[in-house]
Amino acid sequence: MRNALLIAELSLREAIRKRLVSVLLLLTALFLGFYLYGIVRLEGTLDQRSLDAGLDGRSLNGASNLPVIYSAMFGMYLVYFLGSLMAVLSTVGAVSGDIENGVMQSVIARPISRAQLVLGRWLGFSAVNLGYVALLSAGLLGGVYAITGYLPPAPLAATGLILLSTLLLTALTVLGSTLFTTLANGIGVFVLYGVGFTGGILGSIGAFADTPTLTTLGRAANALMPTNALWLGASYHLQPAVALQISEASRGANPFFANAPIAAGLVVWAAVLAVLAVLAAMYRFSRRDL
Amino acid sequence: MLSRVNAIETQELRKEYRGRAVVESLTLTVPPGEVFGFLGPNGAGKSTTVKMLLGLVHPSAGRVQVLGGSPHDPAVRERLGFLPEQFRFQTWMTAEEFLRFHGRLAGLKAAELRARIPQVLETVGLGGRGGENLGGYSKGMLQRAGLAGAILARPQLVFLDEPTSALDPIGRVEVREIIERLRGEGTAVFLNSHLLSEVEQVCDRVAFVKQGRVLRQGSMRELMGGVLPLDVRVDHLPPGLLDTLAGLGELRHTDTNTPGRTDVELWLDHEDTIPAVASAIHAAGARLYALKARRPDLETMFLDLIEDTPDSSARTARLGQGAARA
Repeated sequence: MRNALLIAELSLREAIRKRLVSVLLLLTALFLGFYLYGIVRLEGTLDQRSLDAGLDGRSLNGASNLPVIYSAMFGMYLVYFLGSLMAVLSTVGAVSGDIENGVMQSVIARPISRAQLVLGRWLGFSAVNLGYVALLSAGLLGGVYAITGYLPPAPLAATGLILLSTLLLTALTVLGSTLFTTLANGIGVFVLYGVGFTGGILGSIGAFADTPTLTTLGRAANALMPTNALWLGASYHLQPAVALQISEASRGANPFFANAPIAAGLVVWAAVLAVLAVLAAMYRFSRRDL
Repeated sequence: MLSRVNAIETQELRKEYRGRAVVESLTLTVPPGEVFGFLGPNGAGKSTTVKMLLGLVHPSAGRVQVLGGSPHDPAVRERLGFLPEQFRFQTWMTAEEFLRFHGRLAGLKAAELRARIPQVLETVGLGGRGGENLGGYSKGMLQRAGLAGAILARPQLVFLDEPTSALDPIGRVEVREIIERLRGEGTAVFLNSHLLSEVEQVCDRVAFVKQGRVLRQGSMRELMGGVLPLDVRVDHLPPGLLDTLAGLGELRHTDTNTPGRTDVELWLDHEDTIPAVASAIHAAGARLYALKARRPDLETMFLDLIEDTPDSSARTARLGQGAARA
């Protein structure tokens, strides 16, 4: 474990020294600033309208506040998307990159097992990616709260599910980087991510059109790649009653938001899948010629 | 010495990539504390062999023992040093960070590393440059940094894969000195090289490989059939001197073409006969200008051996002896 932590530490330092972290912080600040500025303007407009209508104020969880509620939800969707992008891009060469540029040989000749190396890489990149998503989530929801006073019903549960999705994606990308070249891995994991999204779309059309086959296909895609299902689960926790009523009225005809919580089994499966991916990566890398 | 375990032992080691054997039935023994030269033409499987000895590549068949254990055992790798042929390291690190990282992987303590890192940087000629990023290093400096990494944890066996490929002549001499110092400390060195003169000067033993097989291995003397060539130059040949010399060794060649100078080539069985040759020349009344024992000429041996061994891609054209010596 000591060696795995040493590799994790190396990965963190690498992320800092290659300016990955500073670029991220800068872009995060830009993204949040841009988005939250929009919300400031939105809040001003809504306040003005309620004044014009001769109202004293707006209920935070009422229909008049729906624009703010939806901006928080779409903002968190962007957090999920950016987190996924980050998980794949930062980790895509976690193992293959070092093999391709020849760094791996001298490291593996040291008294470290290959399983330790893979574990350390996953831990290190997970720390970077999870930190990024946590920072973005806190910045976005905290910003919305500071500007409008609105906070979604269960922000921690929602953020937790998005973090799990990031963790899973990082694990699958590490596995891919022990199997394929860096480029092939990047393409492969994005296709998988697409499969998850497809599952969400098929499932929502299936539910809307009451077509069991589509629902089953969607469920299969969710089992194969649960990231999108995790997001949909998170979206449920971000919707107050008024938004859920709209969702139900439209019979779920919206692939971005769900009107039901995620099945507990799927959450467990996503966690198991992440662990399995890391174990498979350890196994695969231990048997590979360098 | 005999009771100590061999640094390297392989038996019938084999590696195939997609059905093609890169290393074929390689049997090798490297005694402890020796500098071992591993020679062969391009594509002979030298680097693959080194990788198998380090556990980087899994053999298809055969047995490997390094320092008495398996190279897949981290406890064995703790006592190994390795300079890869492709010396590429994390370019975002400084040389000191690189060495600290490798030292920690090798299990060295922080205090130990603080003392050891400046020491090895000095040894490889990078003293005072350890704070610079590896990304700004020249090829030669990178190779030196890699060498520092290889000897950092005071290994018992060091693998050097073409250690001077990026170095200038001064650097090559320095590497030779480092290898000799390692031998002095009792460290075995496995030197993978095609620079024959380099191998000739530092190695106790050599093995010639071709197409993944050892064609011949042994000490330089053994490989030359136990013969020691001796060049003698005297002003003239007093009567009877040649007979005396013929009694001490095998008289190979006498050249009296230049007036006032005679060259004789004598093959001796043993080094201890050299003083007797000098005494015999003095006793005969000739003036001695040169008496030089020649180390076995590895290049000639290499070319003879590699070209005399037929292979599937049959390079049949056999160079003449003169051309081979050129």
